[in-house]
Amino acid sequence: MPLLSLRNVTKAYAGIPALRGVDLDVAAGEIHALMGENGAGKSTLIKILAGVVAPDTASISIDDRPVTIDSPADARRHGLRFIHQELSVVPALSVAENILLGRVYPRRAGVFVDWRTLNGLARDALETLGITHIDPRETMARLSLGDRMLVKISSAFLADAGAPARLYVMDEPTAALTRDESERLFKVLHGIKASGNSVLYVSHRIDEVMTLCDRATVLRDGKPIDSGLLSGITHDDLVALMIGRKVGEAYPPAGTGPSAEIAYERPGLAVRKGEIVGIAGLSGMGQTELLRSILGNPGKAWTSGIGYVPKERRSEGLVTTRPIYQNITLPHLQAHSLGGTWLTPRRERQFAQRLGEDVRLRAAGPRQIVLELSGGNQQKVVFAKALGGEPRLLLLDEPTRGVDVGAKFDLYTIIRDMTARGMAVLLVSSDLPELIGMADRIAVMRDGEITTIVSAKGLSEEALLNLCYGRSAAAA
Amino acid sequence: MLRPIRGGRLMGRFLRRYGTLAGFVLILIFFSVRLPGTFMTAQNWLNITQQLSMLLVVAAGMTIVMVMGDFDLSVGSMASLSGVVVAVLFSFGWPIWAAVPAALIVGLVGGLINGAMVSLVGILPFVATLATLTIFSGAAFVVSGGRTISGRAIPDAFGEFARGGMPLGPVSIPNLTLVALAVLIVTWVLLEQTTFGRRLYAIGGNIEASYLSGVPVRRLKLLAFSLTGLSAAGAGLLYASRVASANPTQGSGLMLNAIAAVFLGSTMSEQGEPRLLATVIGVLILGVLDNGLTQLSVDSYVRQILVGVIIVIAVAGSSLSKTARR
Repeated sequence: MPLLSLRNVTKAYAGIPALRGVDLDVAAGEIHALMGENGAGKSTLIKILAGVVAPDTASISIDDRPVTIDSPADARRHGLRFIHQELSVVPALSVAENILLGRVYPRRAGVFVDWRTLNGLARDALETLGITHIDPRETMARLSLGDRMLVKISSAFLADAGAPARLYVMDEPTAALTRDESERLFKVLHGIKASGNSVLYVSHRIDEVMTLCDRATVLRDGKPIDSGLLSGITHDDLVALMIGRKVGEAYPPAGTGPSAEIAYERPGLAVRKGEIVGIAGLSGMGQTELLRSILGNPGKAWTSGIGYVPKERRSEGLVTTRPIYQNITLPHLQAHSLGGTWLTPRRERQFAQRLGEDVRLRAAGPRQIVLELSGGNQQKVVFAKALGGEPRLLLLDEPTRGVDVGAKFDLYTIIRDMTARGMAVLLVSSDLPELIGMADRIAVMRDGEITTIVSAKGLSEEALLNLCYGRSAAAA
Repeated sequence: MLRPIRGGRLMGRFLRRYGTLAGFVLILIFFSVRLPGTFMTAQNWLNITQQLSMLLVVAAGMTIVMVMGDFDLSVGSMASLSGVVVAVLFSFGWPIWAAVPAALIVGLVGGLINGAMVSLVGILPFVATLATLTIFSGAAFVVSGGRTISGRAIPDAFGEFARGGMPLGPVSIPNLTLVALAVLIVTWVLLEQTTFGRRLYAIGGNIEASYLSGVPVRRLKLLAFSLTGLSAAGAGLLYASRVASANPTQGSGLMLNAIAAVFLGSTMSEQGEPRLLATVIGVLILGVLDNGLTQLSVDSYVRQILVGVIIVIAVAGSSLSKTARR
């Protein structure tokens, strides 16, 4: 008897189907992976379960009882708990207040908040995850990104006598966690499983899913492609199921290599035409700041032939309420208007259409609002925007973060195509295999300075990590 | 348990986009039925547009800053200030061709000050323009000496402008209406057809992404606030011309109505963005209510309450259907 059973879940946004008849069963006492590329429909399915999005059709049953979920409160009552991908916290409130956000605070004399009990409840929730280093009274804003994520996650483990938890739904919970923190979370998930409750787990990290989860359901284009045990399947099989084709190399092959001509130079760093220089380093070592200082005044930078893909696509890269073409032409309006003054929307749309094809954008058309696109396609819009001015130097800050396998490969291919046309690329990434697979040379940053530049050819991940920690590449 | 909810969602979508417009039509039908022969006449509509010309001009300017996600509380007192400035200059013997541009420059400079505080100093628009609201208002009292300036000081031609019009068949289009129309056309072209407007909308959608895309955010904010100040000064001149006098409080009602009109209008767009044509509908809703209720001899205080309630209903209706589940 499945714990959660979904039948024929459909949903369309503005006529474009996001889910076309999804069936899904999660057994009691299992960790069930929900896999698929960005845009496959995972997020929509989760939002339907959470009562945030209304399905067009759906029949949902929990423990064989048919239920309807019309609001987040319904979802709670039916024993569903959620950890969403977006880190939505209130920075001005305390850790405990964030954990109990949306719940009824414990009261004293019916009016006053009982802070002691509140903090105690929050501490218990944190301890479920084995977290003792976070004070529930601390202001959220003072916490590191990883700690904030832990707080967010622990709110799902808050005790609730009225509606005991049955199923934990987690969307990319480890995205901002360190390895140790992730391990601690996995231990808790195994505990959940042992107690007969279940986890629906969404992640792009295939290795993580392979070791953690029991079964998986793969979605592609809004339909379930396959569902079954993970034990009898390989990493590559799973990827092939997700993207619907065989996987070859993870990175497209390099072309003829960089030319001798210098495209960009500053003290301690020179990038040649057609070269990809990777920027490695532990997080917060000044990589983003380096790109920003090269960018300088953005207005001047764009016109002088620099293209920029910022780290945070939603807050820095896109005006999500506007159509695709207006996002793509925003830095290039001067050139794509009459005299820099009069808009020529039809020509803008043709321009955006062409760039959209270059980056293999999947969208209804250049007029579609960016908000409606999946994460991978949104990132392709950011790329199209950066490439629109035929820049000689492309600055990429974590360009594939939160992007699925298929879209990642597309982005890598675009980067390769651009270098083949003589573009110079600076690639900041915390994904070491990506740096080694894509870059010609890698510059390592510590404390805001480039400490060393090495050739990426034959470099091992371990050696690169050693350099990031300030040890020699050969150190054990 | 399949749930056919498509019909309900389409209805919600319709209400979100066209609810305010439908409300406007209902108001029109109501007054046409209750006031046969006097409401739906060309003359009454020309009256309405003339009465609304000041508000239309201010609301157009307000739309410009609200597109960026900012707003300007000082427009009303700027309208008063420009009115008394032009009247005082007249009393010094300045001719119309010199006094009118001078008053408009006061508006431009006042707007520039707002823009500088918001974009260069980084003060919240609410606080910055609240400060200039009192400053401009105080300045209007200082300049006028607290008196109404009227009579001899005002050149006849200045007052006659507002009474004049352009003959068109059996009726005459009031000059004030024509000025408002011209301001609306220019503002619409600016917002919808130029890179300036596109960039303002981008700033309103995401200021950080716009800055990183090379949009000159500070310069555009300065410019936008200056235009808003200019439009407020223009409205003050229209008002002074219409009553052939100026006193230091006569523009004070404009600010709240202008913001209300933009909000009413923005309920008509899917993303809640201010749009000029929608603002015009917003102004018309306020004006038609005022006109119709006056003709029905509804007490002016009751009118105020009704207008407030309608604003709440429109904005609530639209934000409820937006926060409702997508």
